[in-house]
Amino acid sequence: MIRKTIVIENKLGMHARPATLIVKAATKYRSEFRIKKDDMEINGKSIMGVMTLAAEYKSQLELIADGIDEEYLIEEISELFASKFGEE
Amino acid sequence: MKKINIKEFYQTKKEEFSLTLVTNPKTLDNVIVNKYLNRPGLALGGYFERFANERIQILGETEISYLQSLKDEDLYDRIKEIFVYEIPCFIVTKGLSVPEQMEYLANEMNIAILSSRLQTDKLYHSLRKFLEDVFAPSQTIHGTLVDVFGVGILITGKSGIGKSECALDLVERGHRLITDDVVKIKLREDVLMGSSSNDYGHFMEIRGVGLIDIEKMFGIQAARIQKRLDAQIELMPWQDNMDYERIGLSDNFVDILGVKIPIIYLPVSPGKNVSVIMEVVAMNHILKTYGYDAAKVYTQKLQQDLQRKSKIYNTLLDDKE
Repeated sequence: MIRKTIVIENKLGMHARPATLIVKAATKYRSEFRIKKDDMEINGKSIMGVMTLAAEYKSQLELIADGIDEEYLIEEISELFASKFGEE
Repeated sequence: MKKINIKEFYQTKKEEFSLTLVTNPKTLDNVIVNKYLNRPGLALGGYFERFANERIQILGETEISYLQSLKDEDLYDRIKEIFVYEIPCFIVTKGLSVPEQMEYLANEMNIAILSSRLQTDKLYHSLRKFLEDVFAPSQTIHGTLVDVFGVGILITGKSGIGKSECALDLVERGHRLITDDVVKIKLREDVLMGSSSNDYGHFMEIRGVGLIDIEKMFGIQAARIQKRLDAQIELMPWQDNMDYERIGLSDNFVDILGVKIPIIYLPVSPGKNVSVIMEVVAMNHILKTYGYDAAKVYTQKLQQDLQRKSKIYNTLLDDKE
């Protein structure tokens, strides 16, 4: 299991488009993927789940991956966050 | 540990508990750390052993009249002694006014005093209810919560197994959706209460279609805000070597926040109508609650039959000539 903490750097926060990108990226992998914000933990492969977090600009998220391809999953998701989903 | 800011509490709840602020606003910086209330009668009397200072302190008519009966310098000393403790806030009931010295010291020592127009008993109960709810242990679970014939069923399972589709089918059959995908569960006394984790409404994602609004589409009768959790159904892909429940005599349980609820592992395969099975699970749950267990009744009948048959056999066998 890998855990990684990241901070949301795009100004608009995790709205529908970034949420879709994350879910689409995560579902390619076989590992389980969860995202934690404060005391809420959701399934990172579910679009409603990711949007439920309502994660705003500069909020902290913990990515948790568990499975055979967990490293690749975390790497791709982290890159997505780092690229600010192609936004400002 | 959960905390509530007094400022936030005062601003959001002042109408509900008809509160007004007696001290100045900068005293509102403290936090409430637990769900309990305290009536500081003995502390006012000078006994500080086991003084529950971390709770909200309620001052009713008795406490106020006691304070008023004290001599000025005694009152000042006593209040000062109490205020040394870390206290979230005081709430005076019935709109009573506190002695001037107490108000002065509270401002000096940064302890908020609120005044409520409610009677002590009424305030005590409604405040306790509110705090119970805020400090109740809670958990979020990936799943869908539906009300089927009044039974709260939590549908869980891996992403893409068809939880939402199953809930949609149930809604179409006249059952009610509480929330899809993220269920917030709170422990209230011994009961688990499930609700949505936000107040956006009753939305759902259907693969290939996108987001839909259940309340708009099916009407208000298809939506529900919260529901007690009665059973969990875990959907899983059909596996040939898995040992599925066939008779139903042994119940499986799952532990959520310390409460045991029955769980059913339901294999799904293409072409299988899961929502009918959900309805059956709900009805079976109701029957069991009323004391009728189909599995037990059937096996009992079988046993009686076997006993009867062996009796006949033995009688015939014993009847030697």
